[in-house]
Amino acid sequence: MEFLKEIEEILNRYPDRQGALLPSLYVAQKEYGWLSQESYEAVAQALNLPPATVKGVATFYAMYKHKPMGRHLIQLCTNVACMVMGAERLVDLLKNKYGLEPGGTTEDGRFSLVIMECIGACDKAPAMLVDTDFHADLNEKRIIEILESYK
Amino acid sequence: MIKLTIDGKEVELEKPVTVLEAAKKAGIRIPTLCYFEGLSPFGGCRLCLVEVEKLPKLQTACTLMAADGMVVRTETEQIKAARRAMLEFLLINHPLDCPYCDKAGECELQDLVAKYGPEAGRFAEGKRQHPENFDDPIIVRNMERCVLCTRCIRMCNDLQGAYAITVTGRGSHSFVEPFSGGKYNCEYCGNCLTVCPVGAIMSRLHRHSYRPWFVEKEVETTCGYCGVGCSLILQMREERIIRTIPRVGLGLNNGLLCVRGRFGYDFVESRDRLSTPMINVNGELRPVSWQEAYEFVIRRLKEIKETHGPTAIGGIASGRCTNEDNYMLQRLMRFVIGTNNIDSTARLYYAPAVAYLEQIFGQGITANLIPGIANSDGALVIGGDPTTINPILGLQIRALWRSGGKVIVVGAPGGLKRFASYEVVPRPFAEEIVLSAVVSRLVKEKELKGELTHLEEKIKGLKEPAEGDLQAAGVSAETIDRMVTDLKAMETPVIVIGPELLQHGRPSKNLFLTAALAYAINARMFVLSERPNYQGVIDMGCLPDMLPGGRPIDFEMFRHKIEETLGKEVPQNKGLNLFEMIDAAADGRLKALYVMGEDLLFSLPGREKTRKALEGLDLLIVQDIYLTETAKMADVVLPAASWSEKDGTFTNLERRIQRVRAGRTISSGRPDWQIVSEIARGLGDDKVFSSAHDVWEEVIHISPLHAGLSYEDISEGKAIWPYHGEPLRGVEGEFDVEGLDSLPKVDTDAIILNMHRPLYHSGSTSRRSKALISIFPEPVLMMNPSDAKGIGVEEGEKVRLATSNASIEVKVKIDRDLQQGVVSLSNTFEGVNFMRFVDYTVEPTTGSMVITNNSVKLEKVKE
Repeated sequence: MEFLKEIEEILNRYPDRQGALLPSLYVAQKEYGWLSQESYEAVAQALNLPPATVKGVATFYAMYKHKPMGRHLIQLCTNVACMVMGAERLVDLLKNKYGLEPGGTTEDGRFSLVIMECIGACDKAPAMLVDTDFHADLNEKRIIEILESYK
Repeated sequence: MIKLTIDGKEVELEKPVTVLEAAKKAGIRIPTLCYFEGLSPFGGCRLCLVEVEKLPKLQTACTLMAADGMVVRTETEQIKAARRAMLEFLLINHPLDCPYCDKAGECELQDLVAKYGPEAGRFAEGKRQHPENFDDPIIVRNMERCVLCTRCIRMCNDLQGAYAITVTGRGSHSFVEPFSGGKYNCEYCGNCLTVCPVGAIMSRLHRHSYRPWFVEKEVETTCGYCGVGCSLILQMREERIIRTIPRVGLGLNNGLLCVRGRFGYDFVESRDRLSTPMINVNGELRPVSWQEAYEFVIRRLKEIKETHGPTAIGGIASGRCTNEDNYMLQRLMRFVIGTNNIDSTARLYYAPAVAYLEQIFGQGITANLIPGIANSDGALVIGGDPTTINPILGLQIRALWRSGGKVIVVGAPGGLKRFASYEVVPRPFAEEIVLSAVVSRLVKEKELKGELTHLEEKIKGLKEPAEGDLQAAGVSAETIDRMVTDLKAMETPVIVIGPELLQHGRPSKNLFLTAALAYAINARMFVLSERPNYQGVIDMGCLPDMLPGGRPIDFEMFRHKIEETLGKEVPQNKGLNLFEMIDAAADGRLKALYVMGEDLLFSLPGREKTRKALEGLDLLIVQDIYLTETAKMADVVLPAASWSEKDGTFTNLERRIQRVRAGRTISSGRPDWQIVSEIARGLGDDKVFSSAHDVWEEVIHISPLHAGLSYEDISEGKAIWPYHGEPLRGVEGEFDVEGLDSLPKVDTDAIILNMHRPLYHSGSTSRRSKALISIFPEPVLMMNPSDAKGIGVEEGEKVRLATSNASIEVKVKIDRDLQQGVVSLSNTFEGVNFMRFVDYTVEPTTGSMVITNNSVKLEKVKE
């Protein structure tokens, strides 16, 4: 399995197996889209760590997803600067246009929305991440244009 | 020397400890919540905050090391305010459901709030909601009550080593959960229950059935499940056991228990318990009075003795009964009836192992202290999984590994999987080849001490396996190199010997090799014991060739000493052992058998042979707590008192003698020693025993090993080998080894049926515990994934398992750690037990049984 090979490589970079846990979880998340019980077990087995320990670590971090996600993950900031610049209107817009609730996924599985704490782009607020792409200076028109490019 | 001042008191410390421990030493109590003796400090609850001069902020006493010149104050207004604030924070989410919480009355949070306040909280947000989880049969979790002290997790990871639970989520959404989120599927030691300070993790067994202050009495006793002999406390109300708990500082288990000890106590209240004596009338067991039963037994024994002589009578003692019970049975057989026909199922491996090793090294060679294992720097484990056979001993090996020691497991690692430096898994029953290779190499590289010439001569004659032999055994030459290097480097090694080392292949050769290894690297040996009192059975003289105290019957001097002391004759000729008694019953030489606390049909291989033998008897007396399969065949059945209903002592595998005390006293059964005593008196014995203590007084009178060892000494923990008595030394010497100059052939094609020794069960007693049955409810055949795939079967599906003895359908459970070519079945469930499938032969040299007819046919059952 490709995924196991990648974990093997990661292991080489760390002094012990525990150290390789976070990057290995990322690999698993990339492979499955989210982290299920089965993926915790797969990682636990690959690293020879107890499954409960793996689950404990994984559920602590917000960057790991613990339920199935859409094809594209929108992480929209609604922190102070973005809020002042209208981010909450954008949240409403996503709800109306795509039926997308914060923390939810569209019915067609295209988008998932996560409300982020500050992503450090206050000078270009409101801002968001779509998958790993950064988009700033959003407004109601621009956000739709951007999202429409993600199929 | 560190000197510091705590609350104005000068405290002097020999070695550096935390401020909390220093205060404890000075008799000052600092409140704690997340601290638990024996667990690593966490510093999470902030209740042990103390003021230290020259430090700007309050410090946690549980993590702060005491330093010279420190001035500490533990109760100031500032500290009290801080503690009150911490408790107020905890009560934001902790529900105030004390009226129906089982913990109320022994809840640490409740006590702390009572002492420090606050009387009211200022947070009006409402408490977090998280429904109680009842997915598990034994443990109920109420995470609304959890204060996240992580004591359970540190216990599970650092002491138990099960790594079953974790904190999931973060912030106020943090909860302690097992991996599944519901069922624990763990080792079910329940040690998390011991450490939980609040009512978050609780036992379901006695849920809402008591309040802690309902406990009327506490009885300190010794667990009746395995040969470790953990100390536990029976908490009683109205003569019923409410629960059993361990206690930190008490016994060799020091606050820990395993699943059987903690949850398995309810077998004593099983509905299957016998309620009255019974006599077989025309093939049917009919209730009779005790008087009738005694008269029947006495009359029949007299008749048989007169007609056929004393050697036509035999007795089977029990590893589940106390020393006093067993002593009385051998007393009846030897001194009253006049036969040495007495043995027990210790014969299945334990007694031969100990006898053989003692023959080489002298009496007491296996009597080593279990708590010392953790301080060793290396262990070799062979022939069984200590974490399931003797769980608390298993924890010691885990601790050894944790503190940096090497643990080498020969065979499937089982519960040592995460705690073995490496495992060497030879093909089934090729351990002999691995050990031969290791011993041969080791003695080439390391000179022997020259102390035991009889052993060294045999080592010289050992055949070293060639490359091809190792290949057949499935072990590489590099592995042997590694083992030799590691074993040589160990300074304080231990060797743990399990039952399988004797029950397969050539027992004497395997034992000899282990002894040679122990001699070469100077290791302490432990023989795992499946029953609480196998060692006691041996020491009480329940062997056909040994008198109480382990004195050989051949030595006239010992016989005479007993004759002088008791005024009774001791029969001279060696008696029949367990297997010989079965054979003698089958061919009519043995006419009567007195079976105490043993289910022979269930515990022995070769069931048909045993059944025929028992059928052929003129008199079968079965004394038990249940109507076992053997009891159903009996001419007379005598109901016995169970473990929690009688007084006495057990001798554990380290030969420590410990008290068993009666808790529950309501039972229609009578203590075994008492029943035997009544029968002995009917047969002309004039001695009256009115308590277990009386019996013990006689034991210490006639056994030189136990001389002068009173119940008081035992209660004080002084009964550690070699007691005050005299171990028998100097009779060790010549011993035989079968096949010193040959190696076994390894059968690579057969699928071998092995005995599964699950953590949750030990023979048929645990089957009567509702709690243990809820964890492991039905017989399962453990299979390696690739073997399962080979016959196209998946977990939960059924296979037909067949030998020439039996062909039975059984569910499959996949076990990744089981070696290929081996399937295993436990000897727990009536009808589908391991022993039913297999036969045995007896190796003459050791007298140990070797399992045969264990090559099985497997076929998937089509639904």
